[in-house]
Formats: sequence, C-alpha cells, structure tokens
Amino acid sequence: MINAVLVFNNNGQPRLTKFYTQLDTQTQQSLIAQIYRLVAQRPASACNFLPLPPLLSQGASSSASGPSDAPTQITYRTYATLSFIMISTSTESPLALIDLIQVFVEALDRMFENVCELDLIFGYETMHAVLGEMIVGGVVVETHIEKIIAGVRAQEGALGKKKAVQAASTSLGRGALPGLGAWR
Amino acid sequence: MFEKSLYDLIKGLRGHKGGENEYIQSSLRECKAEIKTQDMDKKATALLKLIYLEMFGYDMSWASFHVLEVMSSAKYLQKRVGYLGAVQSFRPDTEVLMLATNLLKKDIVTSSIPNMSLPLITLPHIITPSLAMSLLPDLLSRLSHSSPVVRKKTVVCLYRLALVYPEALKLAWPKIKDHLMDDQEDGSVTTAAINVVCELGWRRPHDFLPLAPRFFELLVDSGNNWMAIKLIKLFATLTPLEPRLTRKLLRPLTNIIQTTSAMSLLYECINGIIQGGILDGEENLQERDEVATLCVGKLRGMIVMDSDPNLKYVALLALNRIVATHPTLVSMQQDVIMDCLDDADVSIRLQALELAAGMVSSDSLQLVVNRLLDQLQRASVPAAEFVESPESPNAPTLWPSDYQTDVIHRILDLCSQKNYSEILDFEWYVAVLVQLVGLLPPLESEDDWAHPKEQEAIPNVRMNAALRIGTEIRNVAVRVKGVRMEATRAAESLIFVDNRSTFFPSGSTIGDGVLGPIAWVVGEYAEYLLSPNGTLMSLIDISNASLPSRTLPLFLQAIPKVFVQISQTSQQGDFWKSEMSLLLARVVEFLEVLAAHPDLDVQERAIEFLEVLRLAAEALTSDSQEIPFLLAEVIPNLFTGLELNPVATSAQRKVVLPDSLRLEEAFNHDLPGLFHNLESLSSYESKSWETSDFYHLPELSSPNKQGRDLALVDLQPHASYQNFTDAPVESSTAVQRRMLERRERFKDDPFYIAPSGESSGMSTPFHEALNTSNGEVLDIDSIPIVDLKLGNEKLSHVDFDRQRSRRIPVGKLVVAGDETFETPISLTDTSRPKGTGDDHPTYKRSLLQVDSSSLGNLPLAKGPYPQVSADEGDAEMARAMQQVEEVRLRMQRASERIQLEGTPAEGTLVKKKKKTKKHIASDGDVGTVTEKLAESAIGKKKKRKKKAQESEKLPGEN
Repeated sequence: MINAVLVFNNNGQPRLTKFYTQLDTQTQQSLIAQIYRLVAQRPASACNFLPLPPLLSQGASSSASGPSDAPTQITYRTYATLSFIMISTSTESPLALIDLIQVFVEALDRMFENVCELDLIFGYETMHAVLGEMIVGGVVVETHIEKIIAGVRAQEGALGKKKAVQAASTSLGRGALPGLGAWR
Repeated sequence: MFEKSLYDLIKGLRGHKGGENEYIQSSLRECKAEIKTQDMDKKATALLKLIYLEMFGYDMSWASFHVLEVMSSAKYLQKRVGYLGAVQSFRPDTEVLMLATNLLKKDIVTSSIPNMSLPLITLPHIITPSLAMSLLPDLLSRLSHSSPVVRKKTVVCLYRLALVYPEALKLAWPKIKDHLMDDQEDGSVTTAAINVVCELGWRRPHDFLPLAPRFFELLVDSGNNWMAIKLIKLFATLTPLEPRLTRKLLRPLTNIIQTTSAMSLLYECINGIIQGGILDGEENLQERDEVATLCVGKLRGMIVMDSDPNLKYVALLALNRIVATHPTLVSMQQDVIMDCLDDADVSIRLQALELAAGMVSSDSLQLVVNRLLDQLQRASVPAAEFVESPESPNAPTLWPSDYQTDVIHRILDLCSQKNYSEILDFEWYVAVLVQLVGLLPPLESEDDWAHPKEQEAIPNVRMNAALRIGTEIRNVAVRVKGVRMEATRAAESLIFVDNRSTFFPSGSTIGDGVLGPIAWVVGEYAEYLLSPNGTLMSLIDISNASLPSRTLPLFLQAIPKVFVQISQTSQQGDFWKSEMSLLLARVVEFLEVLAAHPDLDVQERAIEFLEVLRLAAEALTSDSQEIPFLLAEVIPNLFTGLELNPVATSAQRKVVLPDSLRLEEAFNHDLPGLFHNLESLSSYESKSWETSDFYHLPELSSPNKQGRDLALVDLQPHASYQNFTDAPVESSTAVQRRMLERRERFKDDPFYIAPSGESSGMSTPFHEALNTSNGEVLDIDSIPIVDLKLGNEKLSHVDFDRQRSRRIPVGKLVVAGDETFETPISLTDTSRPKGTGDDHPTYKRSLLQVDSSSLGNLPLAKGPYPQVSADEGDAEMARAMQQVEEVRLRMQRASERIQLEGTPAEGTLVKKKKKTKKHIASDGDVGTVTEKLAESAIGKKKKRKKKAQESEKLPGEN
C-alpha cells in the first residue's frame, strides 16, 4: 500500500502532505525534511527511486525478499519546481508508482488548465480532492483521468477553476510544469 | 471585522518574506478567535487556514473540537473542509472522535454521492476499533450502492476497517468476493477490489487460492495494465502454495513478456516469475530455463537499450533476485552489469555493485575487483584535480567518499567470502590490499571507531575500512601459509615510516586503522621480514607515540618480537654486542616515552617490556663474550611456542563455564560505600602522591584498577596504602605474594605462559634457579597450560581437524578455517524454534507502517459466520455510548476552562530543526527569543490586554 504522498517545492516547502497513518506533526516535519534532503542531492538524470531516509530505515527489515507492512520504497518525480513523492510498501510496483504520479499531475493539469506551483498553493483543497479520488486509505482506487476529474468536478463544480483564474491574475508569474507527456 | 480568506493568508505569507513567523503567529491568533464564532462560514475559513498552516508544522490539535463542528456543517464545501481537517490533524490520542460516530453514520447513508465520499475517504485515517464496530453495518450496505464510485471507495474503506477490527473482514469478504466474481461489475470497482486482495494476499494466501481461476481470467482478458500488475503481484504469493498454478501461469506470463509495450507490466511479469519461485522448481527444467533466459534477456534489454535510469535500476533489482538461483545466467550479462558500475547515478552503481558481489566466481573475481580498483583510482585522482570544475563533461562525477568506502568494503567482502574460497592468486590479493590502503578516501567518518572491539567480534558489522584492510592482511598472513612471506613483506612496506607519506597522502589519521593489525603481522612473522632493522626503526619511530591507544599495544607487542629476530639473525661477531646495545638503547628510549601514556593498557605493556629490555641491556654490559642468557633464551621464549591459529568467534561461547565460576555474585555488597571510602582516602593522601610516582611505581596495585583488588581491600582495610607507605621495606615479599597470586589466577589461562616444564617445553635452568632462590615450594609441573579436558563428556573431543581436513583442490593454497568446538545442541541458536512471519509482528515497528498482522490469524470461515451475539453487541454498544458521554462531558468542561483561562495566544510551532533555530538565536535575534519567553511567562492578564489591543488594531488594518 501507499503510506504517504508528499509534494514539496525546490526549497523543501511542503505543498501537500498526506500520511495514510496517523503520525505526530513533529515526526511528519522531520520526515519531510529528510526526504527533501535526499531529493535535493540527486541530479536530474538520476533514477526516480530514493534510498530510505534514517527515520524509515530504522524499522525496515533487512530481508526485503518477502512483502511486509513496513514501507520499503520511495518513488519521486520532479516537475519544474515541484517534487512528488510516494512512500510505499513492496506490494506496489515501483514503475507503476511513477505512472501514478504522472496520472496525479496530469489530473491536476486538467483541473487547473496548465498547472503551475502557484495553482497548487492556492488550489490546495482541490489538490486534496484530486488525491482523494485516486487513493483512499493508501490503496489506489482510480487511475483513469476522466473518472478522477469527473469525481472532483462533482464535488466543487467550477470552483477549482475559479481559484486557478484568481491565481493567474496575480503578477507572480506562471510557468507550466514541463515534461508532462515526456514519460511512457 | 473582515476576515482573511485562505487566499489572503497565502498572499500575506508571500508578502512577508523574512518575517513569516510573526505573520503566522498573528494569523494563528486570528484563526483562534474566528474559529470560536457561531458563523459557520468564518469557522470553516479559519479551519482551512489552520489546515494550511498545519502543513508547515504548526500544531492544530487544540482545534479538534472545532473540526467536528465544521464536519457537521450542512453545506458541502464546509463539510469537506471539516473532513480534511480530521484527516490532517487527528492523531491516535484525539478524543473527540467518539463524538463523531453519529455524524459519520449520518453522512455515510446520505443520498448525495460527494457527501457520502467524505466519510469514506476520511475513515481510513481516523478509524478505531470501536468506531469500526459501530459503523460496520452502514458501510456494508454501501457495498451495494448503485454508483461504482461509492462501491470502490467502500471496498477500500472496509479493508482499512478490517485492519483495526478484523471481524469486519469476515462480514465484508463475501460481498467483496461477489463483486470480484461479477463480470458485469464496473472495472474501477474490480480494480479496487484486486488492490485490496493484493494487500491481503501475502498475509493469508490460502484464502485466495480458490479464487485463482477468476484472477487468471482477469489477468488474461481485462487488458487493464494497472490491475494486471497487481494480479501478478498476487500470483507471486500464491504460486509457492500451489505448484500447479506455475504451469498455467507460465504461458500467459511469457506471452505478456513477449508482447507488452508497457515497461511496468513487463517488469512486474519478470519480477512475479522470480518472486513466485517459478524459476526455482525441479521438474520440466527445459521450460524453466527458457523462461529464465527470456527474463534475463529482457532485463538485459532494459539495461542496454533504454537510456532510462529507472529501467536500469529496476532491471538490476530484478537481476539481484535472480542471481540467487541462476548465477550463471546472470554472470553471462557481466559486461552490461560492469558498465552499470560506472553509471553516473549512485543508486544504480550500488545495485550493480551488489549484483557483482552476487555473481562473482573464481574466474571473474579478479576481473571485477580490478575494475573496481580502476574506478577507485580514477575517482581519487580527479577528486584532487577537478575541484574547480566538477561539472566538466569528461571528468568522472565526483563521488561521495562514503561511496568509495562502500566500494572498498565490497571488494573486501567479495574476496573474503566463504573463507577466501574464490581467490586463486593470493599474491594478487595481497597486492590489491596494499593498493587499497593508498586509495582510502579522506574524511573517513569517525563514528566507526567507537567500539572497535565489539565490531571485530561480529564480522558482519561494518568496520572502519582502514581497520578492515589491515585485518585482511593479517588474516591472509595467518590463514594462508603459502603467502605468509608476501603478506608479511606487504605489511613491512606499509609500516615503513618513509612509505607512510606515500600511502596515506591526505593526512596521517586515515591509515591508523591499518597500522595496528599490520604491526602485529610484522612482529609475529618477523622471520620473513626483508629488513628487520628498518622495520624495527619504523616501529620505534617517535612519531608513533601519537597513534591511537588502540593501535599502540600492537606496536608494543611487535617491537620485542622484531628485536629478538634481529638479535638472533645478525652476525655473532665483535660488533654484535655494541650493535645490540645501541638498538636496545633506542628501543628503551621509545618505550620510556610510552611508559607515561595515559592509556592504561599501553602503559602496562610499555612498562613490562621496558623492564625486561633494561635487564637485557644490563646483561650486555658484562664483560663475558657469551651472549647473555636473557637475550639468547629467555626473551625469545616469550614469543615462541604454539603457532597461533584462527579461532571462530563463536568458539568462546561454546566453552562450558566451570561450576566454580560465579559471574553473578558481587565482589562486595557495599561497593559504592567502598568507593566512597577510597575517594576520601585518596584525597587525603593525595598531597604526598607525586604524579611521577603514579607513573613510575608500576608495582603499586592501584586500588580502582581491578575488582579483585577491591575484595582484598575489603578484607584488610587500607591494605594497598599500607603497601604503598611500606613499599621500600616490604616490597620484595609483597611482590612475591602478588606474583604467586597472579600465577595462581592465570594458571588455566592459555594466554599466559606459565613457567612449567613439560607442557610448554620451555622450562629453563633460569626458571629453576629463580624458583629455588625464592625458596617457594610450588609444584609448578602440576599447572597445566591448556586444559583441553573441559570436564564435560560432550565437549571432550575438540574438533580442531574438521575444518582443516576440508582439502582444497590441488593448485590452490591452503586457507586455514576458524577453529571451533563441536557444537553441543543445547548451546546453539538453532535449537530456538524458527518463528514464522506472524510470530514477531511488531517488535521493531517501522514508521508509517500499517500493521496488518491481526488479519493473519482470522479465519475467513466459509460456513455460517460466527456472528457477534446480539447481547454481546448491545453490551459493547452501551459501553461505547458511556465512553462517548464521558468524553463529551470532559470536552465540555475543557472548553469551559478554555473560555475562562484563555489558551496561549501563540500557536506552537513544532520545530523542524532545532539547530537552525539556535543558530538564528545566536545571530543576534536573542532579543526576540527572550521576548517570547518572557511573553509566555507573563500571566493571563497581560495576554488579555494584548488581545484587546490587537482587536483594536485589526479593524484599522483592514
């Protein structure tokens, strides 16, 4: 299962945190900081899998052969200024997780029309809604973009778009996340 | 008053660069006020802002009651904020949850689908056993809802319910199974159900075996890659239980591998084949090998053809799993794997390194190691030269030194595995080791030094790389007689002072770990030294005195050994005496330096040898032409005797403790008091205690050195001090007594050479003379050196020969194995029953882990389900209601208290990094920090005042 979904920007500022287990705020923050440190070290050409940060490697069993409840994989993908991270157990396929991040970003792109970091800051609730349509309790329930979009639209109508327009009107500049269609 | 929306908050945050913290604090204060209003809009907005700030680590647990209020709002968008707040901020200790039961019940059965989704996606985060029990009936009814959106979320929600309340699965499983079997079911629901089954699958594979035909059908017909991946993962857990599945699966999997364009599916197919053990079985070998070849071929393709680093990484991951069963197949791909060793990505390199370790054989070992050595050499050169332009295209990327260290460890792992069975050419290995010393990366982390002795005892624990290289040289010298000379000469070259600067270029501390074991080698095998004189000079070089106290004892042991070698081999001419006197003088000079070393071990050894060698020097001054007996016989005999052999680390544990040994018994029951006495005494006496006396009166038995002495102290109070004051008069008898004691104590200790006749074969007239002159009546011959009869029938035959008799094929050098005892069954670990996966569920729980172990023991009975009896359920319900009422009252009281006292105005920031905080404070922001402290210390009165001020101020701002 997926244990956590994180989004943060190049400076390590969180944009979305979703932990599928209850975790105290302090531990959440130090975990984010540790993962950010790992991501920040990696060049763009490196593969999308992270070693376990100290907080997670403590309890993980060294015999990674069989499945277990402990999270063993961290998959990340970076789009422009944002990094999307998924922490999961071995029952998830690493390559499929990369695809799942892609689906998430594409769905956000559809919701916000040419999504950028600013959209996600202001459309914070919508981002949670999109994720809620895709993953429930750490288990993937939907990977079909149309259905995800339909689910979110049913919730908030044109609200998500309105926020995006608001954000666009600010003078802070928008740059779409490149590389959306790059993979697969 | 006009409130800020989330939008305003974020804009404000961006507008207050540098002063964010103050801005957030003031926003939090506003939120606190706003969330208490009756206006639901304000409340929801304030909550949304709090949730946003929570993401940055600002605690909002105090608002949990308000979260509930917003959750109960009639407006959907407000309700959504409330539920989001519950997901993000509720923790296991959040008590208000008990109050939410009715609200959740109501929302689950509402008619609006978005409304219904909210509890479904929130419950997995906040579920508790009692909540699960009361919500289960409502959730079960949602499984047959008309909308697939509701059904798929309910399936997953029920899974999470079952994790805390396993009974739920018993009731839900038949329904989930119906959905799974239904061909007309919506694809999303089936996928969600498969995802859940995949999570459950590895916990209880037996329950899902009957469904295998359906899974098979879905795999072949669905065409949904996401689901296919999960199904293959599921099958990987099922095939070990049902070998017949293997044959059925082989064809479709092969088909997918050959046809699919989706890399993720291809990879999972291969992975499934590996993990499902399809490659492991015995029968129809032909087909299996074909599949294995196909898999490895595809993996090779993933590495070679695609430039995608992800595919490279996972392919290596998969190869790492295959290598255990099909090492030959994998080693055929050696070329590509070798290329991955040079990859720019550290993750890929590490995987390739592990793979290389798995696939080496005698033939490929040298190739692999040489390649790694090349890498290290290339890495160490540019590290110095390309510092200015690390980005230059052709220069190899700068490697972190921990990677270099890892490579060194891997090389040593590779070579030393299976007691060096893969090494054909030990001279080459010795050369490699010497090379490695020169390639040690700088900035070796110092942590490894903490407990070197324990680490040496446990071979699996990573030692400091330098120490490990030294240990390897020592191991080779001890175990492989054939290259003992080469190993000793290599050690000799490393220990030469003149060479040290070339081997350890970047600072003296790096190689210190190497020096210790090497010093032992040159001492123990001094007869092979090329230049004993030079070695001795290097050993007593004055710069050595600054070596770590861990290394110095090994040097001290080596010095007399090498000296003896010189004294015995050099020409017995006229110059011999003067030469020896000169050497002795130098050695004594060096030892004198160490005689005052702060480390007790070093000090003791230095003083011991110092005294012995001084005696020798004295003996040399006599006029007779004969070689003094002390130099000819006594000192050499200290170091000759049985050859040292490697002993297994577990051998010590297998020695049965003698009955008379009582490890549990305290030496003295009033130990603290004893120490107290000593302390007060010593402080009293300290005036007369010169420091030089402390160092230069080695015979003094220092009271806090040994527990045994303490026991003596107890019997005759102040005995040691008596000895001290009477030392000049009493010393000879005291020394005698102590010597006897010591001899008695160590008579069974094989590491102390007792002056006995037969057993050691080194009884000498000198000893006898000593003994008789002392007038002691001591039956020395009865003291055995090594008592091999351990008094235990089981242990009586010591299996020294078992390992050695393992003859290595002709042409290979003999590698001595570890010596150990035959294992008495009662003492080994194997007698402990092997725990199954479920036996040790939580002894080391990982962060983020969702514990599913409770599911493993639950029977998913196919017959009539053992329902929770109605009475039981009612009683449970009543208990729960009572609890709810209690909590409600407590909450009410708490909220009243809040009204009265007022909570601290500041939200508490959960600190992310303490260090940086401190740093900022020291930078000159001390004022603000102390201000804050003062603020929190000031009573409620002032706070109220401040609040009032703020509320006055705020309207003006807006």
